[in-house]
Amino acid sequence: MNPAIEPSETIADTLSAGEPLNEPWVERGGVLWFEGPRMNVREVAHAMNAVGARFITLTAYQMPGNEGLRLEYHWDLAGRLLGFNFPLAGNSIESIYDICEAVDWIERETHEGFNIEFTGREYEPLLLREGNVCGVNLREEVAK
Amino acid sequence: MSYKIPMGPYHPALEEPYKLDLICEGETVTDAKLHIGFNFRGIEHLAETRNYIQVIALMERVCGICSNIHTLTLCSAMEKLTGLTPPPRAQYIRVIVAELERLHSHVLWAGIAAKLMGFKTMFMTCFEIREKAMDVLQAISGNRVNYSMNRIGGVNRDIEDPQSIVAMVDALEREMVKTIIPIFTTSTTARSRCAGIGVLTHAKAVSCGVVGPVARASGVGQDLRKEAPYAAYGEMEFEVPVQPDGDVRARLLVRALEIMESCKILRQALTKLPPGELASGGDGSKFSFTTGTATARVEAPRGEVMYSVSWKEGSRNPSRVHVRTPTFVNMPSVRYMVQGARLADTPLIQASIDPCYSCTDR
Repeated sequence: MNPAIEPSETIADTLSAGEPLNEPWVERGGVLWFEGPRMNVREVAHAMNAVGARFITLTAYQMPGNEGLRLEYHWDLAGRLLGFNFPLAGNSIESIYDICEAVDWIERETHEGFNIEFTGREYEPLLLREGNVCGVNLREEVAK
Repeated sequence: MSYKIPMGPYHPALEEPYKLDLICEGETVTDAKLHIGFNFRGIEHLAETRNYIQVIALMERVCGICSNIHTLTLCSAMEKLTGLTPPPRAQYIRVIVAELERLHSHVLWAGIAAKLMGFKTMFMTCFEIREKAMDVLQAISGNRVNYSMNRIGGVNRDIEDPQSIVAMVDALEREMVKTIIPIFTTSTTARSRCAGIGVLTHAKAVSCGVVGPVARASGVGQDLRKEAPYAAYGEMEFEVPVQPDGDVRARLLVRALEIMESCKILRQALTKLPPGELASGGDGSKFSFTTGTATARVEAPRGEVMYSVSWKEGSRNPSRVHVRTPTFVNMPSVRYMVQGARLADTPLIQASIDPCYSCTDR
């Protein structure tokens, strides 16, 4: 990717209002997935803010075996559902809470359910109560 | 001196399991903290242990008000993984049941809002009308709460006499026009309790990503039925009511106007109901899924619901089901609505987003 080009411009250039989206967007399972140059989640969040997209949710996936975790982020742009995929190397990813307020509760819920650390933000328990251990992979706990 | 009032998790104003820590200066609320999760059920995890028939019955129980919406969204996602398209009659029936559910939900909310305003006569009137909406749903599905209408590839039950439903919709609309809308929009009680109360500005609504009537009452004109039509909504003519004020009254007005639009959609769908099959995909007992993830979104009475469903080919169970409910995104905005409000107004402000903790604690 050309370092002189801002990632937000790359995404914005590909999103023509009302027209079908072509590469690097690929329609799969009802979502237009961005398959362009790899960006980090904060670059994507900035790009989505720049085009006026609305954050919908993020979904965590526990991959089989030792493949770790994967996150899918979804935004809506005038009725089009946009998706971004982030395989996690460890169990952490940068928080986008300071860029996108709507992500607050789902980052907290995902932290509590999958032990994914959203770095750069403070947590308060959302679903768990005082005395519960916050930041445990509940799926692995149930499997034990 | 500021002090904290814990409201909930079980309190008399709203019989819902959540807690609001209100920070007050005198009678004025300066800030609030919300706590949920008191009845968290782990339904998403449970769904991974259910097969493709059982998971529909399970997800219908995410919510007791918009149960049909959850199966509609789930089935729409599963249809993308099975390659099935519901036939036109099924698409229309899905619209009819979804709109009846919206009517039921909005009238129920109006009743609860009336009760919180101290307007108990109106509460009784709303619940009488809600009964009529539920009678229609029962006449179609045989059930009053979990209608079991949706299946992969279509619907389970037909609407054999659409004209009888049209008559019921007409009666319901007459009652709305004659009683509920005029009282809610003109009575001194309703106006004094709702106007200028619990304001969510347009900017904050956008920033919080709120959905449904809460967004539309703050001037955000989003509605998936228009923006990304599903089922047979693309063939329906209707307006999306939007109000700019962002207060409790605006949320009340949006829902009242949406009831009228729902009646309009219902009349069209019932009149134009096409003939044909109720479902594709054989007898509905065996389905083949491709490996992958599919996502579907639907405009529920409270706003956008989204399901992401992940499957592995050959498996009978989903490997992941993620549900994003409207209250989950609308609820955090209550913090901003109550800032500067009188303590006595907070129950009504909370109720004005039509919160569903069954959906939130899914």
